Amino acid sequence: MTSYMKYVVKRVANYVVMIFIATSLTYLLAASFLNARSNYESRTPRPPQASIEQSLDAANLNDKTPLWERYTRWLGGVVQGDWGVSPTGRPVASELAGRIGNSVKLLAISAVLSVVIGVSLGVYTAQRQYMWQDRALSGMASFLLVVPTVVLAILIVFFAIDINNALPVKIFYVTGLSSYSGDNIFLAFLDFLQHITLPTLVLTIISAVGYHLNQRTYLLDEMHADYVRTARAKGLTKRQAIRKHALRASLIPTSVGVAFSIAGIFTGAVMTEKIFAVHGLGEYFINCINNNDVNGAVAVAAFSGVCTLAGALLADLFAVALDPRIRMS
Amino acid sequence: MTTVDTARRRASGDIDEILRYELLESNGPKGAPSGDPILTVRDLRVSFNTEAGVVRAVRGVNFDLWRGRTLAIVGESGSGKSVTALSVIGLLDDNARVSGSVRLAGEELVGKSDEDMSKMRGSRISMVFQDPLSALTPMFTIGDQIAEALRIHHPEMSADAVRSRCIELLGLVGITRPETRLSSFPHEFSGGMRQRVVIAIAIANDPDIIIADEPTTALDVTIQAQIMDVLKVAQRETGAAVVLITHDLGVVAGIADDVMVMYAGEAVERASVDTLYARPSHPYTMGLLGAVPQPHVNIDRRLVPIKGNPPSLAAIPAGCPFSPRCPMAHDACRAEVPSLRAIAPEEGHLVSCHEMERVRDGRLTYSDVYPGLETRPPSWARTPRSERPVVLEVTDLVKTFQTKEGGFWRRRHSTVTAVDHVSFSIHEGETLALVGESGSGKSTTLLQIMDLVVPEGGTIAVLGRDTRDLKSSAERRAVRRDLQIIFQDPMSSLDPRMPIYDVLAEPLRAQGWERSKINARIGELMRLVGINADYVDRFPTQFSGGQRQRIAIARALATNPRLLLLDEPIASLDVSIQAGIINLLEDLQAQLKLSYLFVAHDLAVIRHISDTVAVMHDGKIVEFGDTDEVFEHPRDPYTRALLSAIPIPDPPLERGRRRYVYRDGELVLADEGIPVA
Repeated sequence: MTSYMKYVVKRVANYVVMIFIATSLTYLLAASFLNARSNYESRTPRPPQASIEQSLDAANLNDKTPLWERYTRWLGGVVQGDWGVSPTGRPVASELAGRIGNSVKLLAISAVLSVVIGVSLGVYTAQRQYMWQDRALSGMASFLLVVPTVVLAILIVFFAIDINNALPVKIFYVTGLSSYSGDNIFLAFLDFLQHITLPTLVLTIISAVGYHLNQRTYLLDEMHADYVRTARAKGLTKRQAIRKHALRASLIPTSVGVAFSIAGIFTGAVMTEKIFAVHGLGEYFINCINNNDVNGAVAVAAFSGVCTLAGALLADLFAVALDPRIRMS
Repeated sequence: MTTVDTARRRASGDIDEILRYELLESNGPKGAPSGDPILTVRDLRVSFNTEAGVVRAVRGVNFDLWRGRTLAIVGESGSGKSVTALSVIGLLDDNARVSGSVRLAGEELVGKSDEDMSKMRGSRISMVFQDPLSALTPMFTIGDQIAEALRIHHPEMSADAVRSRCIELLGLVGITRPETRLSSFPHEFSGGMRQRVVIAIAIANDPDIIIADEPTTALDVTIQAQIMDVLKVAQRETGAAVVLITHDLGVVAGIADDVMVMYAGEAVERASVDTLYARPSHPYTMGLLGAVPQPHVNIDRRLVPIKGNPPSLAAIPAGCPFSPRCPMAHDACRAEVPSLRAIAPEEGHLVSCHEMERVRDGRLTYSDVYPGLETRPPSWARTPRSERPVVLEVTDLVKTFQTKEGGFWRRRHSTVTAVDHVSFSIHEGETLALVGESGSGKSTTLLQIMDLVVPEGGTIAVLGRDTRDLKSSAERRAVRRDLQIIFQDPMSSLDPRMPIYDVLAEPLRAQGWERSKINARIGELMRLVGINADYVDRFPTQFSGGQRQRIAIARALATNPRLLLLDEPIASLDVSIQAGIINLLEDLQAQLKLSYLFVAHDLAVIRHISDTVAVMHDGKIVEFGDTDEVFEHPRDPYTRALLSAIPIPDPPLERGRRRYVYRDGELVLADEGIPVA
């Protein structure tokens, strides 16, 4: 296990360097192109010039300060755990924390569901290649794969509103994550379910079809491997041989996708959050760019970078756990 | 079509009558079989629906298996031998249609469901596959994979019993320290060791039948010899009937009792191994045996090339399927399908040939059936080789590789010496063979010469010009003209999107030839390698493997080189096609005074084609000398081990040979027990 730890430490050290470089570049780019000054100048009435400069200086967003100076000041803060403030003066870090929570609430359920449903369908259809079950399910998956998220989400919303209108009680909420403000834990949970169902449905469909089609391909590749034939020659039925031998190998590439989607839970889903008005990280990122919030955008980018590399590390660890041929060196 | 069907029906009616002769044979190594056969196959037919039409892979095959005996099914690719085996064990693809009868101790297997067949597989019938590198599941330990074979048929076995049986099995197939090896993964084992594990799995439940499908094709010659010995042990331990499927007639000689030769999905000859080799009676069998070089004798005759290619199983010729390639064929052969008849009833020797009587009464051999096998040495060959000019001189060649370990931060370097002070020279019109097992450094040596590199150590001189002195690219190009290479796989060495004309014109254009001269040269080249010059606008995929290799040779010859480097040029071809390429290379040498540097692992071919031989082991040349001298009086222990491992296509001789194993610089007799790994 020491080699395991050494491997992880080495990897993490590599990643820290990569994240530092990526985040610095993001900062330099964002600070050069996002102009917070316009936020103040476009206000009516226009605030006095001195006040604009003061606010910009306070947020470290003043384009009259040399870029390098702003960068070192920002970096100094980041080292102490201070990610700066938005143009309105609110600290970025506290905003981020709440939004990560919302994104996790939104994405965690669908991440689990899509892996379970997608991989199961992939295995099911691979074993019935070219039979009607495979043609129907894989055909539908290919169709859903090309439907844009926005279109799918809006269709589902329309459909849900129709159901709501047809029934005496409102079943689905199409915006936000909660609207109940009482103390009853049961009712609060029910309220959460009413809100989460539609976005979860959208997210689950979108990522499940990917898992389904990939898993089908991976398993079909492995099903015809020589070692599956050896397993059958030992006395396993075709089904048993596929389940015990081919499936394990076909899960190795799938596990990579799973690792990244675990990391993706924290970074949010831009489109879905926007459509269902969930105040998660994805929505925040768009808002930051719209509002010339350099510090906010960079903080999201840095956090996404950390998550992606954590996903990459997780993917490596999954592969090592599943495939004995991969050595940790 | 109707005559074909009638002929078939008549044949199937006479099957039992014909197969009666199996019991009469008296001159096989084990005499006549006794008792009831464990497996009887009658009129087995297998077909597949494919895009190319219905592929009839097996067309009415009959044979019996007895416990303790080995039947070799011999044939080239597409002969239906593997499909026959897979239908016995029930591992054909789902789109296969099987008819006929396969009875295991009286129980009909054809038509059984996968569930029912799975109870037979691994317990009563087991199988050893061709490629040991992919035959084991990479994610599971060796121990788990053997244990699975035991548990699936004996769920009641205790964990301790399973473990001790696994250890016993690994010991049986010659794996040392079996206790610790149980927890190894397949990738930690060499190819030969993995094949031993596959054999251990096959014998785990003491099967009645072991089917070995080309079990040594992917392995080096010394490993091949070891695996064949392990198979013999496996048969001795289980008393099983063994079916050995192979194209290698040398391997057959040492292990088989009975042989069935298949062609285009049918058995064309069946006999005991001794009879078949002593009196091959079907023109195809004669051709096969004549196409195999004899590694143990110095015979100056050409190999038998069988013209044409095996037929596509989707379009089998009318009449005798071999008739388009058969030198004895006449009109009746092309019209009527022959059936198996007894040529020598007392020996159980059956042949399916219209010309059987002529072969028997005239005692015809392959030299009668395939004429023109005498060699005509060219006039220039009268000059002794040592007095001819040197075309390639390699002195103290060294090539090392750096291997990297570790990640981004801390990297460890170590050096592997792939070529270690190798020296040799080739004279004009001479063939030098570089021999060695995989990893011996022979291919690296070849690539160093081909790249005209300035070596890490030593010198390479082509036609007296040292690669160190080649300063300009023009000088390099001039040397390149005299030095060409031919690769192992003609499939991948020819660009599939280039018509043959462009393939051949490319090297000429690179040398700055004029257009009109190029056309004339291409016609000349096509004739030289024996391909119709009208085919220049066809693409490589429209040719067979043998024809493609001829095209590759033509391309190499385009610039009139003096020296050809040949990297396993025939390894991927069928035996009958190999012979044609070897003959072509010999003709070209005689005609054009070419010199060859021939890299191969097939020692029989090397004995046939080369004048001098250099044996490589661990990057060094351990023995160098005249080919006949090296083969007859090898001095180095490694060479002696290597030579003792070559299978000889002569059954009585092969059975009586003693094998040596090279271990840490010493020669060990492999007689007692089985070789271990």
